[in-house]
Amino acid sequence: MEEIEKLKIENEQLKKVNKNKSDIISITAHQLRTSLSALKWILKMFIDKDVGSLSTEQNELIEKAYNGNERMLVLVNDLLTLSHAEDVSISYNFQSVDILHLLEQVLFDFYGETNKKRIELIFLKPDEDIPLVKCDEEMIRVVVQNLIENSIKYSDKGGKVFVTLVEKNNSIEISVRDNGIGIEDSDKDNIFKKFFRAKNAVEKDNIGSGLGLFTTKDILEKHGGKIWFENKDDKGTTFTFMLPINQTL
Amino acid sequence: MKKVLIIEDDSFLQGLEAGKLKRSGFDIITASSGEEAMKKIHEPSIDIVLLDLMLPDLDGFDILKAIKSTEGMKNTPVIVFSNLSEEEAIKRSKELGALDFMVKSNFTLDELVKRINEILK
Repeated sequence: MEEIEKLKIENEQLKKVNKNKSDIISITAHQLRTSLSALKWILKMFIDKDVGSLSTEQNELIEKAYNGNERMLVLVNDLLTLSHAEDVSISYNFQSVDILHLLEQVLFDFYGETNKKRIELIFLKPDEDIPLVKCDEEMIRVVVQNLIENSIKYSDKGGKVFVTLVEKNNSIEISVRDNGIGIEDSDKDNIFKKFFRAKNAVEKDNIGSGLGLFTTKDILEKHGGKIWFENKDDKGTTFTFMLPINQTL
Repeated sequence: MKKVLIIEDDSFLQGLEAGKLKRSGFDIITASSGEEAMKKIHEPSIDIVLLDLMLPDLDGFDILKAIKSTEGMKNTPVIVFSNLSEEEAIKRSKELGALDFMVKSNFTLDELVKRINEILK
C-alpha cells in the first residue's frame, strides 16, 4: 500500500512538472509568435511596396528574410503542437467522437487554402454509417490537418486530394491521397523521424520543420492506432491511418 | 468611413495594425489595456472590434463578454486577433460570440484587411 501511495505522489509531482513545462513552452511560443508576426507584417509591407519600391536585389533579400521568418513560425507552431501532444499523453481526453463530422469540419477549414492553390479537396464519404470513435478529438484533428496540409503543400496547382473514411475490423481507416511529389524510395525509412525532411519536399517547399509526421505518428500510437503510406505508380502518395473504435488504453 | 476598435497591448503590433488599417481607409480607435478597452467599447459607431486575448490587466474573454452585453455593441462583429492558438481559446471565443478567430502569425495585414472588408460588406 505504501508503494502505491508513493507512486501516486510521484505521479502527481510529475504531472505538476509537466504542467509547468507546458506553461513555459506556451508562453514562450506566444512571445516568439508576437515578435515573428511583427517581422512578417513589416517584411510583407516591403514586398508589397506599401512603403515604397525597392531595387530587385533588395527585394530578393527581403523575400529571403520573409521566407526565413515563415520557417521560424512553422517551427514554433510545430514545436508547440508536439509539446502539447506529448503533454496531454498523460491524460488524453478520450471521448466518443463523430469522425465524419470532424473530417467535414477540417475539410471546410481548408477551403481558403485549396482555393488559393486551385487544388480540389474531395471527401469520398462512406456509404455506411460510421460509429463513434473513442479518441481525443483535438489530437485527431491535428493528425487529419497535418496529412491534408502536407498533401496540399506537396501538390501542384490544379492537383487533387482525396480523403476517404471506412470502417474495418472494429477500427476506422482514414486515407489522404494526392497526386503530388511522392516519396523517394531512399526516404521511406526516415519519413516519420523527428526533424527529417525529404530532399524533394525541401525543393518543393522549403518552409517546414520536419515535425508534422513525427507528431502525427506519435499521437496515433498513443491512441493504439498506426499510420502508413504508399506511393502511387505514376505520381503521388496515400497516407492511411487506423484508429481502433473502442480505445481501451 | 468604417470605424475599427483595436484592442492590443503590444504598442509595436498596435502601431502596425493601426497604420495598415488607416492606409486602407478605416477610422481607428485603440485601447492598450483591458481597462481602456472597457471604456472605449462605449464609444459610438464602432463597426468592428479587433481583440487581442492576452492583455496586462483583464482577460480578453472578459472584454468579449462585456462587448456582447453592451447596448449598441451586441451585434458588432468581433475578430479575436491573438497569438494563442489552442483549440480551447478558439472554442471559448466563438461561444462568447466572436465572429472569427485569427492567429496573428498565420496572417499578413493584407489578409486581415481583406477579412474585415468581407465582414463589413
